[in-house]
Amino acid sequence: MMKKKWGLALTSVLAASLILGACGNNGGNNEAASNNAGNKNGNASSSPAADDKIDTSEAVKLKMIMLGPKPADYDQVFGEINKQLQEKVNATVDAEFLDWSDWGQKYPLKFAAGEDFDLIYTSNWAQYNQQALKGGFLELTDDLLEKYMPQTWAAMPKVKWDQARINGKVYMVPGNQSTEFTDKLVLYRGDLLEKYKLQPIDSPETYKAYLEAVAKNEKGITPYGLEASDSKTHNLDKQLLLQKNGWNMLGDVPLAYKVDDPKGQVFNMYDTPEFKDLLAYYKELADNGGWSRNALTNKGDTTGDFKAGKVASMSHNISALGGIMAFVNNEHPEWKPTLADLSPDSKKSEAISTQNGIAVHATSKNAERALMVVDLLQNDKTLHDLIMYGIAGTHYEPVGDNQFTKVVDKFGNYNTFSNWAWNSPLNRVDTTFPQAAQDIQKKWGTQVYHYPLETFVFDNSKVLNEITNVGNVMLRYGVPLEYGLIPDTAKGLDTLQKQLKAAGIDKIHAELQSQIDAFLANQANKG
Amino acid sequence: MTERRHTFWRDIVKYRTLLFMISPAVLLILLFSYVPMAGIVIAFKQFDYKGGIFGSPWIGFDNFKFFFQSGDAWRVTRNTALYNIGFMVLGNVLQIASAILLFEVGGKWFRKLMQSALFLPYFISWVVVGSIAYNFFSYDVGTINSVLTSFGMERIDIYNTPSYWPYILLFFHTWKFLGYGTVMYLAAITAIDTEMYEAAEIDGANVFQRIMKVTVPNLAPTFIILMLLAVGNIFRGDFGMFYNMVGSNGMLFSATDVIDTFVFRLLMDTNDFGMSSAAGVYQSVLGFVTILTVNYAVRKYDKDRALF
Repeated sequence: MMKKKWGLALTSVLAASLILGACGNNGGNNEAASNNAGNKNGNASSSPAADDKIDTSEAVKLKMIMLGPKPADYDQVFGEINKQLQEKVNATVDAEFLDWSDWGQKYPLKFAAGEDFDLIYTSNWAQYNQQALKGGFLELTDDLLEKYMPQTWAAMPKVKWDQARINGKVYMVPGNQSTEFTDKLVLYRGDLLEKYKLQPIDSPETYKAYLEAVAKNEKGITPYGLEASDSKTHNLDKQLLLQKNGWNMLGDVPLAYKVDDPKGQVFNMYDTPEFKDLLAYYKELADNGGWSRNALTNKGDTTGDFKAGKVASMSHNISALGGIMAFVNNEHPEWKPTLADLSPDSKKSEAISTQNGIAVHATSKNAERALMVVDLLQNDKTLHDLIMYGIAGTHYEPVGDNQFTKVVDKFGNYNTFSNWAWNSPLNRVDTTFPQAAQDIQKKWGTQVYHYPLETFVFDNSKVLNEITNVGNVMLRYGVPLEYGLIPDTAKGLDTLQKQLKAAGIDKIHAELQSQIDAFLANQANKG
Repeated sequence: MTERRHTFWRDIVKYRTLLFMISPAVLLILLFSYVPMAGIVIAFKQFDYKGGIFGSPWIGFDNFKFFFQSGDAWRVTRNTALYNIGFMVLGNVLQIASAILLFEVGGKWFRKLMQSALFLPYFISWVVVGSIAYNFFSYDVGTINSVLTSFGMERIDIYNTPSYWPYILLFFHTWKFLGYGTVMYLAAITAIDTEMYEAAEIDGANVFQRIMKVTVPNLAPTFIILMLLAVGNIFRGDFGMFYNMVGSNGMLFSATDVIDTFVFRLLMDTNDFGMSSAAGVYQSVLGFVTILTVNYAVRKYDKDRALF
């Protein structure tokens, strides 16, 4: 009898947990945004202090959101930062970190849930436009900036503010760094190149020869390791299609324009003969084992694999590859890691100022103090050093006024997050950053090309339905085709184009073109 | 009228202890299941931060368009339902079978040990299961392909062949939840009155007759309740599983896309709350209709076994 009762109880408990579990799922979508309505009037800019002296008598605690994992030595470094900030502007900062794995989902929720925070990292790749258009950021007027950020106001070239404008308004304090390139390049192993007596890599063809030689002769080494397996195009498209031909692709749709086309004529990349040729190139590489047949389900970590000698080449931007090269030079100098630009003569693109920046939350109650803190972190030498590199002697060794050396096993304990928001002329140069990478940067500096559409931002709100569906088509039909997994390339391309049409690419095309035309006309009027 | 109110209050007083005991559960359901329902309005709004949930402008069914415009709506809805039916049927049958087997084999220690061993996969997260699967199925380094090549056979390209995947997913799902369901059914079996077994034995029933005539009929109510509960979620794909097993591998989408992964992929970059809520509402409405229909059918057949 006793036994029976217990059995029944257990069944009901388990069943109940099932029901509750199910309910939990239902709720998740909706509850996030439930308490936003209340505090929307905290716009602090409306009440500037009466006289010119800024009143900082009341101590404030600012909450700041950064991307990347929380540093192990957070308490140590931020303790020091807060001590200084307390002294200078009577404020302390409490940072929250959104990990790389899921920041994309958490970031918009911070706004939607009406969370109480003051500062947040943002960038053209970190939802700057989206959140600004949705009203998540405080508009930074010239008055505000001049009054509360005098040092930044003086140091920042006007063009950087202009590049950060959305519909004429500034919503972020951009990083103030002179040059940062968005172009990508490849890193490969010089020892393997010598072993197979190949030409130095400086073009798609020489690169292909290298990958194929490795695939054929080096068992256990993957010739090309992917940067990311969930991107909507082949990882090498940026170099072999865009940089090589001088195109710029807009957002996540396969629409591009030639950077030197004064009219900004938009075209579909998948319809071009260049793309068709590239597909043949990819197909041959794939068939010859240029990358893993599991490319689309890749669960590996390419950087780690390259450092461990399991991958023979990878692609990324110059600062990332420079760092990896420095590491390998240290551990395995015999591998002779080498950088290669696959289109050395092409026009190079410099990042616009919105590449890194920090914004004030629209509902922040302490916007003035938040701006003052940002001003110091970007322009005060001591604070800038602290936020960028950690504690001198512990995390890094300062070399002169403008260089530094990482303390190998300690630097990573602090430098884990998006402190690039405070990039400024005070940045120190890493003494271990390879000379080869510095040379390339110097060379690229002479090839930088500025064009009117550089700062154009596509407002996709009118074609959101089409954008979502085009993205899906690219992932489903485009990416497998580019990685050479579809046996019949011509047929695959045909399917891709048909599906894109069905998904509404033409509507996006028309909308984009009209926005570009308007943008250019507007610029011509101003000039 | 007064008579009825009178009894209502009297009932409350009479059952106060029981009512008090149930109140936390009721509160929980109200708080987490009924209150958030108001958020459904987001699905019909152009959500912005200034307006919030209730102040944003109405846009009717515009948020639903992206889903139906894709042309894939029918396919993913069908996939979701078919996968869930597969999981439900195969899962429950195997769970009942293994519960009966465990019940029939003697040896307390053996039974406990098996029970724990079966339960273990339930605690392994899908992320880990996804990596385990990758190590089995990978083209260059996977266990299966290593074994095949060592026997001189051709490698099979599992991650680029959609037709294997329904079976793979069915296998992993069943494997993961087998222990959980077994324990639930085992509890139900232990609750069966032992006198029935004694009577069956005296009447000369053998093991199979005992199982078929006593155990299985007695499990039917538990089975039906679990089925009904599962049916309500038939249009919700197990996102954790599909995403971690398949990820963004476009080669497999035709066979593995369920509503949840499909919608996630579509809205991954746009992060539009209205559109994602719309997808949630779509699933809920379908699930609601299904459970009403099935419950109605069960009621027709046997009134006592229906949920409501």
